[in-house]
Amino acid sequence: MIKKIKASFSEKLLLAFVLILAIFTFGSFFSIKNKCLFVKKYDPKNLKFEKPENIAVLNAPCGNVIIELYPNIAPNSVDRFKMLISSGKYNNVAFHRVLKNVLVQAGDLEFGKKNNLNYAYIGTGKSGYGTINSELDKKFDFKKGSVALARKDEKNTEDSQFFILLQDAPLYEGEYTPVGRVIYGLEVLKKIKYLEKTEYVLRPDFINTLQMLID
Amino acid sequence: MKFLKIILLIIILISPVNANTIYNLIKIPNLEIYETNTDNGLKYLKAYKPFEVGIRNNNVKCFNSNAKDVDEKFNIISKNLKKYSSDFLKKINLKYIVLCEDLSVSGINTAGVPNHKMRTLIIDIKFNKDHFERTIHHEIFHVIKDSYNNYFKEDIWKNYNNDEFKYAKCSTCSDRLDLSIYKKTNGFLTEYSMSTASEDMAEVFSFLMIDKNNIKSKANKDSILNNKISFIKRNVSKIDNKFTFN
Repeated sequence: MIKKIKASFSEKLLLAFVLILAIFTFGSFFSIKNKCLFVKKYDPKNLKFEKPENIAVLNAPCGNVIIELYPNIAPNSVDRFKMLISSGKYNNVAFHRVLKNVLVQAGDLEFGKKNNLNYAYIGTGKSGYGTINSELDKKFDFKKGSVALARKDEKNTEDSQFFILLQDAPLYEGEYTPVGRVIYGLEVLKKIKYLEKTEYVLRPDFINTLQMLID
Repeated sequence: MKFLKIILLIIILISPVNANTIYNLIKIPNLEIYETNTDNGLKYLKAYKPFEVGIRNNNVKCFNSNAKDVDEKFNIISKNLKKYSSDFLKKINLKYIVLCEDLSVSGINTAGVPNHKMRTLIIDIKFNKDHFERTIHHEIFHVIKDSYNNYFKEDIWKNYNNDEFKYAKCSTCSDRLDLSIYKKTNGFLTEYSMSTASEDMAEVFSFLMIDKNNIKSKANKDSILNNKISFIKRNVSKIDNKFTFN
């Protein structure tokens, strides 16, 4: 007859530790690999909007970002933005400049396209439609989620590039032309790839699609 | 071409991230908002950590101050800068005032550093207690001159002085540094006025903003000074005919 050996307390403790470690390792493998795991998904079809004609849907790697555009605040800039969206120009364009928890920038149609990415010049590209004037006269609270057109150091040099704030930036009022605000899905943008040591991103994430809700 | 791209890539990769919306705007790191709700639209920022900026090896350095000092000096600075209307500030391209202490350029202490392109004036809140208020206006003049250099031509200004007088080659390559007003002016309000034409103009402007009556009475007995005052007034009014010295 085989005598049953009872595990000592320390052996039980060791077993419990090994089990916890295994669960933790296994769990981390999936959660770390999938950066979008805890990001809430928004489907614009299930949402109601007061002015659906001013709603743009940006699809990024972790889901949809729903943006409300404000033509009453910056009419010409919103016109330009809508035109580029409707013609599909922003599809497959890189988030080339990302400041962790500060802002994400995209919209370089010349050097930021997925199939024609040019790291040497990204951020300097043009849309081909020329620059437009800054629209800075109306009051706008640059809270996180604000969408504005990027420009060079000088004003009146806006074109196709835009940025979305991940933190409040009250000083931007009167500096940058606001075109809208993220109303759902800001968390999606916090998952856009960034680098710790540079604001320009190597092998960046891309806008999958950017479309108007109603074309 | 490929080599150029590699170099660009390396520069991009080694450039530090200054993850801050204020940095994004005026290219000075380690700043936070101090006061933005002002009548003339000036935005006051303060350093929360020391910073170094400048195109030549970060030659502009400044340190953060304690809250009490900033509060105290802010009251003085804002009281003086309220004298400039929002219209005038727009015309001279000034929007951001950075408050910090122990400001230096290439190791030499200075009251202020204007940056016309970034619409910024850095002010050392601990600079020269006795003449602090006046140095604020002195620095404002440098901002004005940066925007309207064609109005404030140094060659014209130099002609007001006696033929034998020569300014130094730069404001820091002279030992004429005293900011106290002369009893007998002889064309110059302070010893520092004699350093360069630009500093001389800034000294006249600053006294017009702080002590107008006193220097007017001095100018009554000093034709050189009188010409200099007229020159400053005439050209400032070209920028903004509503501008008043008070």
